[in-house]
Amino acid sequence: PPQVVPGADPAARQLCFAWGPAEGLVCETRFGRAGGSRSRPSPVPSRRDPSVDADTAGGAPGSSRVFVVRRDQDIYIQTLRKLFNESHGIFMGLQRSEDELAGKSRKAQLVQVSKNYRSVIRACMEDMHQAAVSARDPALQGQYSTQVSILSAMELIWNLCEILFVEAAAAGPLLLRLLDWVRLHVCDVDSMVREVLSSENPSKHELFWNVVDVFVLQGRMDEARHLLSKEATANPTSMNMYKILDDLMKKMPMPSLGNTQTLTELELKWQHWHEECQRFLQDGTFASNPHMESICKILLGDEDAILEKKELMTTWYHFLVTRLLYSHPTVRPMELRFYAQSSMDLFLGGESSPEPLDMILMAAFEFEMHQVIKECSIVLSNWWFVAHLTDLLDHCKLLQSHNLYFGSNMREFLLLEYASGLFSHHSLWQLGVDYFDHCPEFGRVYLELHMERVPLSTEQKALKVLRICEQRQMHEQVRSVCKIMAMKALRNNRLGSALSWSIRAKDAAFATLISDRFLKDYCERGCFSDLDLIDNLGPSMLLSDRLTFLGKYREFHRLYGEKRFAEAARLLLTLMTAHIAPCSFWMTLLTDALPLLEQKEIIFSAEQTYELMRCLEDLTAGNTDKQKFQEDDVETTKVEMLRLALARNLARVIVKEGTVEGS
Amino acid sequence: QVSVINTVDTSHEDMIHDAQMDYYGTRLATCSSDRSVKIFDVRNGGQILIADLRGHEGPVWQVAWAHPMYGNILASCSYDRKVIIWKEDNGTWEKTYEYTGHDSSVNSVCWAPHDYGLLLACGSSDGAISLLSYTGDGQWEVKKISNAHTIGCNAVSWAPAVVPGSLIEQPSGQKPNYVKRFASGGCDNLVKIWKEEDSQWKEEQKLEAHSDWVRDVAWAPSIGLPTSTIASCSQDGRVFIWTCDDASGNSWSPKLLHKFNDVVWHVSWSITANILAVSGGDNKVTLWKESVDGLWACISDVNKGQGGVSAAPEGQQNEQ
Repeated sequence: PPQVVPGADPAARQLCFAWGPAEGLVCETRFGRAGGSRSRPSPVPSRRDPSVDADTAGGAPGSSRVFVVRRDQDIYIQTLRKLFNESHGIFMGLQRSEDELAGKSRKAQLVQVSKNYRSVIRACMEDMHQAAVSARDPALQGQYSTQVSILSAMELIWNLCEILFVEAAAAGPLLLRLLDWVRLHVCDVDSMVREVLSSENPSKHELFWNVVDVFVLQGRMDEARHLLSKEATANPTSMNMYKILDDLMKKMPMPSLGNTQTLTELELKWQHWHEECQRFLQDGTFASNPHMESICKILLGDEDAILEKKELMTTWYHFLVTRLLYSHPTVRPMELRFYAQSSMDLFLGGESSPEPLDMILMAAFEFEMHQVIKECSIVLSNWWFVAHLTDLLDHCKLLQSHNLYFGSNMREFLLLEYASGLFSHHSLWQLGVDYFDHCPEFGRVYLELHMERVPLSTEQKALKVLRICEQRQMHEQVRSVCKIMAMKALRNNRLGSALSWSIRAKDAAFATLISDRFLKDYCERGCFSDLDLIDNLGPSMLLSDRLTFLGKYREFHRLYGEKRFAEAARLLLTLMTAHIAPCSFWMTLLTDALPLLEQKEIIFSAEQTYELMRCLEDLTAGNTDKQKFQEDDVETTKVEMLRLALARNLARVIVKEGTVEGS
Repeated sequence: QVSVINTVDTSHEDMIHDAQMDYYGTRLATCSSDRSVKIFDVRNGGQILIADLRGHEGPVWQVAWAHPMYGNILASCSYDRKVIIWKEDNGTWEKTYEYTGHDSSVNSVCWAPHDYGLLLACGSSDGAISLLSYTGDGQWEVKKISNAHTIGCNAVSWAPAVVPGSLIEQPSGQKPNYVKRFASGGCDNLVKIWKEEDSQWKEEQKLEAHSDWVRDVAWAPSIGLPTSTIASCSQDGRVFIWTCDDASGNSWSPKLLHKFNDVVWHVSWSITANILAVSGGDNKVTLWKESVDGLWACISDVNKGQGGVSAAPEGQQNEQ
């Protein structure tokens, strides 16, 4: 059924949907609204709104709201966090587990994995139950309780799948497993049992026989016999009957887990025993005690007698297992389906119809694995269950590898869905990475698409994202992240950070931009920021010409600071003659040369001085065409000073070089 | 199951025409007939108004967020024939460029894949599509495709960036040879595919199937398969899924997703392209998914209750 967006008013608004990376947006709008050529009256006017005609200018404003909607809410339930985290660990263990183990040991390994998953579900159920108990808000309490039932159902289904598919219990052990399953999951009678057992005089309790029946129905013979003995001591008249019944119950042949008997042997014994029960019943041994008689009938697998105890069984699958116990304990897996269907029919008896859970269990009894998965996908609100169960079944090599239309298979399809859902969460997304890693067809591309959308809210998070991308050689994404971080740093005026990010991104254009900023800052403030970074650029200096210049220019300053004037001078000159420096910077460089020219000691040689002069003339020649009238006095003064200094240096150096140095 | 996790009261004084989340889902941009574009911070279920941008002189039809590597940039287009590009600098949003080269309402804007630089396609009711490309230093270069659609162009959508040949890492500074393509939908009932060749935009394909104005086109993100997929929706109530199996982009075949009872206005793909959202005049938004056997199914049917979001009050019949 369509889901209602609260408060949306259908008479005045239509809904428009847009995807966000995780959430979606629904906004109230009216398509085809007034505004001219973009709109056009709908050819089929809506019955609900007679005024849909487009040219009604200025419609009712009302509140203009945008709804942010989310598809998978479960990810955000705190108490389920443990489920996602721990099952991730189990999943990874399974993926890495050795496939070399064959036969029994592999099966044992897989069964253990299955049990691990189930214990995580149960742990979560416990937490959820605690949360429900301690919640004050009734709505919240209701939510938690619902979650508990859902988790309980999941465990029920998983457990059955484990018995039938993973362990693939054979006839004999199959029944024992099913009995365990029923005992574990049909808990509605537990409080009644406790009440009777803890009473002073259990046999006098009005529910005494109910509890005995429960034990019998669940095949808990020892417990049933124990209770019955109390009744016998209290009622010596029925001692005879009791002894016989007790004996029958004691002797009942049961399948065993070990290899102590073959199925044939069991069937034979069971046949004998069955006949013995029959004789006692027909002899009227229990005629005077309807309770005991009913128990005997149950032992004989009498459907009507068993069905009479409907309320004590509460579910059709309990009924199924009880039936099997007392009429066909050596049932084979493939025979289950017939008993299952008839059990459900008999139990529901046309009064109620099967619920989704019933259909899922039925599909399991019918060994229709795909059906189980499909039904679970429909009913459950997130992909956790089907993704993990299917993955396990796939490892058991049980899923036919029929490829789905778009090339992937069922296991991968579900894992992709599940992992995608994780990515909408601010911390669980990291688990999603591992799941994508184990999807051979589309995992990588899905991971790429999702990683790009992880908000890089902190430097730490960006580094985390980077590490994940680098480990997987996702070069595009690495570059993208670095570029985004560089841009962010630049916007916040953190030039050093911006520069190192753009170097990491190998983004020459950006590096140039940032270098320009550094240089501009230098011109304005006379000093560099982030010296450490610039000094240690190393080979990455070559990323862009501007960056190279920045590095070299800084080196010039360092040399000057260390009073290595000759080297500094050489470097300065090279920066201009090798065109490493942009023309816009030449004036600054020449100005930087001034102190070198004014030194007492001669630093620039004649040739170098000529070079400098040439640079100056090139520079001023270029300038005469533009803005001559705007050239301020400072500039002209500078040029004059330079010319003077260069000329003086030239004079000095000619003399020096012309003089023969004394030895 | 779809749940509402946040209700943003935009306080727009008139009808909202578009709402878009930014790349990370942290910000929301809305535009309205009240001529304004608003930006909200919606992290952690909040709604903080960051900017109220004025500059358009008519209803604003669409907004589009650029890739975050270019900074915080938003484009908007309006009935006033203008395309405005807004940029955040030092915490404030300002107009950074205004394009007025269209003769009529500009109906749709869409940013190209970030690999192509900052490149915006704009579709207008004057039938032309203009491509605005940032060349640096605050400068934008414009290329125009005149008469792209007779009567008018209603929607533009870019194809994902795919490098022909092997995807090896390019040495820094070298731009790989991308083949740029985008799709457009118009009042001539056509969906057209445009390809850039020798710096010129040429019409590569004409996709005919609709019997009325095409209202929206959406090119699906790529998941690495050689197929390309485009969704188109129209005044005729139909939504088509177009697929092309070969890399050269020559044979497109349409599949009818559904025929709705009313105009379908908007189609949009989820980021892994597995779900298509369809917004229609019948007050419903439906989500569609390709099922295991290649057919498209409405999720609200297959997954009882999951996904169908409707404005109809609960008693009302589901028309599907």
